[in-house]
Amino acid sequence: MFDKILIANRGEIALRVLRACRELGISTVAVHSTADANAMHVRLADESVCIGPPSARDSYLNIPAIVAACEITGAEAVHPGYGFLAENARFAEILAEHGITFIGPSAEHIRMMGDKIEAKRTAQVLGIPVVPGSDGAVPDVAAALRLGAEIGYPVLIKASAGGGGRGMKVARGPEDMELAYRTAQSEAKSSFGDDAVYIEKFLGRPRHIEIQVFGDGQGHAVHLGERDCSLQRRHQKVWEEALSPALNASQREQIGERVATAMAKLGYSGAGTVEFLYESGEFYFIEMNTRLQVEHPVTEMITGLDLVQEQIRVAAGAKLPFSQKDITFSGHAIECRINAENPRSFAPSPGLVDAVHVPGGLGVRVDSALYAGYRIPPYYDSLIGKLIVFGKTRTECLMRLRRALGEYVIEGVETTIPLFQELLADPDIIDGRYNIHWLEQFLSRA
Amino acid sequence: MSKAKPTSEREGFDREIIRELADLLNETGLSEIEIEHEGLRVRVARAIQVFQAGVGAPATSLGSNASEALETHATQSATRPAEIHPGTVRSPMVGTAYRAPAPGAQAFVEVGQEVKQGQTLLIIEAMKTMNPIPAPSSGRVREIIVADAQPVEYDEPLMIIE
Repeated sequence: MFDKILIANRGEIALRVLRACRELGISTVAVHSTADANAMHVRLADESVCIGPPSARDSYLNIPAIVAACEITGAEAVHPGYGFLAENARFAEILAEHGITFIGPSAEHIRMMGDKIEAKRTAQVLGIPVVPGSDGAVPDVAAALRLGAEIGYPVLIKASAGGGGRGMKVARGPEDMELAYRTAQSEAKSSFGDDAVYIEKFLGRPRHIEIQVFGDGQGHAVHLGERDCSLQRRHQKVWEEALSPALNASQREQIGERVATAMAKLGYSGAGTVEFLYESGEFYFIEMNTRLQVEHPVTEMITGLDLVQEQIRVAAGAKLPFSQKDITFSGHAIECRINAENPRSFAPSPGLVDAVHVPGGLGVRVDSALYAGYRIPPYYDSLIGKLIVFGKTRTECLMRLRRALGEYVIEGVETTIPLFQELLADPDIIDGRYNIHWLEQFLSRA
Repeated sequence: MSKAKPTSEREGFDREIIRELADLLNETGLSEIEIEHEGLRVRVARAIQVFQAGVGAPATSLGSNASEALETHATQSATRPAEIHPGTVRSPMVGTAYRAPAPGAQAFVEVGQEVKQGQTLLIIEAMKTMNPIPAPSSGRVREIIVADAQPVEYDEPLMIIE
């Protein structure tokens, strides 16, 4: 096991990792930009190193600075959290060259899943159901039109190197194709420096359901059930729950089994998430995230596992201490992402936090790096806290969530807490009747 | 110019502890001292200056960046000249500072020595690479803040040239 881990992240996830390390008796090194000198992850870590100026490019994304920080502190392993360098294959390779362990999958798997076309091809080979579409990049409009006719409209044109919804266009029929193709291509070029685009079937009202997987890179892999992350705004998840209100136990077992088998075959190591669109009983692979997810706590709540501790153990060379039959799901969990944003316009609201009161009680978990007197810097993500609530049933969970949101006080900045209170009053949310477009429609209605 | 950063938000703790630690910080040239005693945890670290026109600071955040800089200045006392001295040479990277080109060799510069712009003051090793730190301007070495083989953070004061 490691003696010292460097946490190459900030905010709530840096704290999350720090807590796991502490419980395993591992000392921690926090890294930070000059803007984060007073951040909670720096204050709680055993050691800290300032690695650069506020701009993430020069600090949290600065590979030489992070490697140098490992060298001067003697850290043996790096946990990347999510975002920043978590899915940077080059980072994983450089760490390996310096004899430092990257807590995550192999560089090869990161690279494979980071390329959307390659990821889809791999998923298909491994027996994971995919959305019908082009086998690879679509070279021109004529090829795009042929594919549209074959798959059936509407179709989606997406950037190969893309993410975050950029370089993504819908063609409702052949008459839309040329414009959609060319727009997606130029957006792909300007956003990612690569104009390769591919085409797939556009699903009208799917849910976003993802399977949490865990492998040890030694031939064993399990699935930890699904999370329903359909409530999204501009492709950003807002609310996640486990298990999904839309699946029954046999559907869960079927898709979970398929994904776990695929991951074992791949030799995947550590935590990963295979994301699907789900419509009319069918799953369609979207992508695989080769890292810990923001919403991993909902899975922890219903399985009783500490995913970060397991990541660390596996990275240190341990085999999976459990098999699929040891994994059981109990109760229901919901996570609300609390952002420092106006709850309607979603305009960021950085600044000084005057007061914080965090909800508590049975079944309530808050992952947050906020404290009274903290100044939320304008340079990074607006996520300031995650409220995760557990209940024996979904109904109990919803009632508890309503209670917890009512107790949560953050003064000085605007937060998205009022949005969640509104959502909890909506019958569709109470019944779990929503898809990936539901939230945007709700927001445009109000 | 040290800044007290008590982990505890409570008021009314022993200010003397912080003063003593701050003095110790200056004396030893360390960048940070942290002690924990009977449940009270105190950390004293050299303040990190936020530049108003910081290189690499995104343009969109200029307004709040400036206000942060003002605040940072406001919280600083005048006990550490390195933080405000215009001739302070700061570390451009994280790494280990070396005062000489090889172990046992003569140091690049000594206090009181005249240096020319561009002359190597020390080297910082990062990722097994030796990075020479040149003098930003000609002048006399007034103070050498870092010790040989000392780990340095980004933006940490290394030397004062005047």
